[in-house]
Amino acid sequence: MSASRTLILCWLGLAVLSVASVQLGNSGATLVLVASVLLAALGKAWLITDGFMELRHAPRLWRGLLLGWPLAMGLGVLLTLLLSSQPA
Amino acid sequence: MSTSLELALRPGASPARHLPGDLAMWFFILAELTVFALLILAFAVTQALQPQLFHDSRQLLDSSTGLALTLSLLTSGLFAALAQEQVRQARARRAAWLLLAALLSASVYVGLKLGEYAHLSSLGLGMEHNTFFTLYWILTGFHFLHVLLGMLILGWLAERCRRRVYGPTNCSALESGVLYWHMVDLVWVLLFPLVYVLN
Repeated sequence: MSASRTLILCWLGLAVLSVASVQLGNSGATLVLVASVLLAALGKAWLITDGFMELRHAPRLWRGLLLGWPLAMGLGVLLTLLLSSQPA
Repeated sequence: MSTSLELALRPGASPARHLPGDLAMWFFILAELTVFALLILAFAVTQALQPQLFHDSRQLLDSSTGLALTLSLLTSGLFAALAQEQVRQARARRAAWLLLAALLSASVYVGLKLGEYAHLSSLGLGMEHNTFFTLYWILTGFHFLHVLLGMLILGWLAERCRRRVYGPTNCSALESGVLYWHMVDLVWVLLFPLVYVLN
């Protein structure tokens, strides 16, 4: 597959995940839906880092750092939402 | 350190270990991501402390505008990545047009964002309205400044491509500029659900 075609497929994936996350967000506020929205965001971050930024062929340290950032953000947000949903 | 140049000088070097762009740009990106991480986590923690306020305030934002902002940035990122690919195939002029398309798509983002800012301001939802909007303006405003800087870089790269400055063995600066633009995209895909979508 040519590099340009890979990039276009990445963009398609990003667009689909973006639309899906809005649909999921409008469907309600359950933990499963919130986790799905965050998972979609992580999927998009992966497409950008490995696809657009070409880190899939990069040294593991750099790839790990760039993939770890959205993962840490997603987990942080999920954790704060879980804590706020606990009864006082 | 120019990894593109390194690959050109060492044809036998494995592309599996290739880091595009300059190493300095990667450190700069890490620094930027650290700053954004602090802002994102500040937003998330404050949201945990005031969930009802954040829920109610988020209803005042239009998620379809957020989606349009997202798609315009991602489309711009695609054009920038395609431009980089064209330069690697010694088609610098075509890359210049693609970078202009990236700029055009980014302009859609700027127009939509300014429209949103004007709308919120007209409703009295400025930075001092409540905690949600204080963080909204700081977070999205800081990102907006990065978009503007990224657009300047894209314009500069487009002009350099038009003058055929970059080629398959000399495109590390182009790669670095395009990487900065993807970093702006990367931050936005985390900001978008946090600010517009999550309940």
